[in-house]
Amino acid sequence: MSIESFFVILLVVILGWYISFSASRLDRLHHRVETSWATLDALLQQRAALAHEIVAESNLDPATAYLISASASAARFANLEERSAAESVLSESLKLVQSAARDELLELPTPLLVELSDLTTKVKLAINIHLEAVNATRNVRKKLFIRLFRLAGKAPLPVRYAFEDDVLESTDLPQ
Amino acid sequence: MKKIRIGMVCPYGWDTPGGVQTHIRDLTEHLIEEGHHVSVLAPVTDDSIQHEDYLVNAGKPVSIPVNGSVARVIFGPIASSRAKQWIASGDFDLLHLHEPAIPSLSLLACSAAEGPLVGTFHVSTPKKKAIYAIGPILEPIVEKLTARIAVSELARDTLKDHFETDAVVIPNGIDGQKYANAKISEKFSGDYTVGFIGRFEEPRKGLKVLIDSLPIVARFIPNVKYLIAGPGESKDFVKEIDPQLRNRIQFVGRLTDEEKESFLKSVKIYVAPNTGGESFGIILTEALSAGTAVVASDIPAFKAVLENGEAGALFINEDSKDLAKTLISLLKDNENRETLASNGKLSAQKYDWQVVAEQIENIYEMAIAGGQRVTLASENKFWSRR
Repeated sequence: MSIESFFVILLVVILGWYISFSASRLDRLHHRVETSWATLDALLQQRAALAHEIVAESNLDPATAYLISASASAARFANLEERSAAESVLSESLKLVQSAARDELLELPTPLLVELSDLTTKVKLAINIHLEAVNATRNVRKKLFIRLFRLAGKAPLPVRYAFEDDVLESTDLPQ
Repeated sequence: MKKIRIGMVCPYGWDTPGGVQTHIRDLTEHLIEEGHHVSVLAPVTDDSIQHEDYLVNAGKPVSIPVNGSVARVIFGPIASSRAKQWIASGDFDLLHLHEPAIPSLSLLACSAAEGPLVGTFHVSTPKKKAIYAIGPILEPIVEKLTARIAVSELARDTLKDHFETDAVVIPNGIDGQKYANAKISEKFSGDYTVGFIGRFEEPRKGLKVLIDSLPIVARFIPNVKYLIAGPGESKDFVKEIDPQLRNRIQFVGRLTDEEKESFLKSVKIYVAPNTGGESFGIILTEALSAGTAVVASDIPAFKAVLENGEAGALFINEDSKDLAKTLISLLKDNENRETLASNGKLSAQKYDWQVVAEQIENIYEMAIAGGQRVTLASENKFWSRR
């Protein structure tokens, strides 16, 4: 065997290993995006349900109550494209509840308020984790090598939702 | 949160003192108290003494100079196979890796594992050339982390610079009660005592800046007393001090944990003159929760902890004159100093383990929500079938 063919074989082996390595790396990233989205989705659903409960249990004025139930329903039934906008509206209207609670204008069972503040923190974390996964995946998919060998296959490109991170603020409960 | 099995990886020698080790030990003990199962994998220098039950020895660390101090880390095939064994037999719901981006045990564990992985980044370093070379190798490993935690905004910026990823900021936790309820010790108290703790031989700890301020402070407050605690050789420092002032400064040597608590509680002012290379400054939060006034150099990490001077006084970094000025005004004005100390104590509450551990548990909950468990990564399974 000539030295040239040895190097050619070595090169092919390395290339093969690298393709397999990149494919599993990408697969892992796609998986990460899916699980983080599932987590976020579940939390957002919980939040919408909680919003309805808050409306039912509190003495919110009719206008605010309507705003919250409407945005909660919109968020629940939004399709993927409208989702982030709808969730941001819900975040905004839930802020009204939180500020009313802070000013002690609201009669609302404390457990619900605690749950809201808890969920807000978790949603924030979940958004952070999900966006991280999406960004990492998109960055890797942009790489020439991965595009060249079509390692992403038919997996759809993860969507970067424009969740407004700073819309969400955690509330300090009234003492 | 439901009780889970957590595998924690410590990159540095378990039996050498350090901020990361302390953080891991406290966090582990807190989580165990909460009812979780925790196992810690760490390099151990001296395995002849009895260590904590939760500790798993990964082998002897080697010393490597990093970032102005010496890190005791471990890597290589033996450490790697021990990490794999630990992961395969541990049956963990989640791995928590500390400092996974430096070549260490955490990196090995991160590359060997798959599933819910949480990483905590402690250091902050300016962007280095070396990272360009090693970045592409680390990237596929670091991107496996499900969630990232940075201990400070600075550590988060470092992470953004090096890997273009973001992280959730959760500060280091401390057991505030321990410091608040520490006994006041005769040895360290007095009307004009100024305390310092640290490995003072390292220039970045800034003891020189503090010592240089002594002549000025002693001119205005003749009874001032500097107490320097920490391991190291004091001869070189003493030599440079004016012989008339030598009795104003005292090296008290290495302190036990209990002595440290009472030291922080007893001194009138705690000084942190570090000139850089700090990411968080846990000692500041400890001194603050003891209710002691803190004076620190205005490096970014300390500025953040002291809330731009609200929770403690800042002086211009490496400027002994400014330090002296700050010390004199605080030592002379009891009222002002007590206000500063009580502001500080209040602001230190957010670093208490109760608060911090809950935030970390929230991250754990997010990470395991997918229902996966920790396994060996698929590329490893082929080689090391058990």
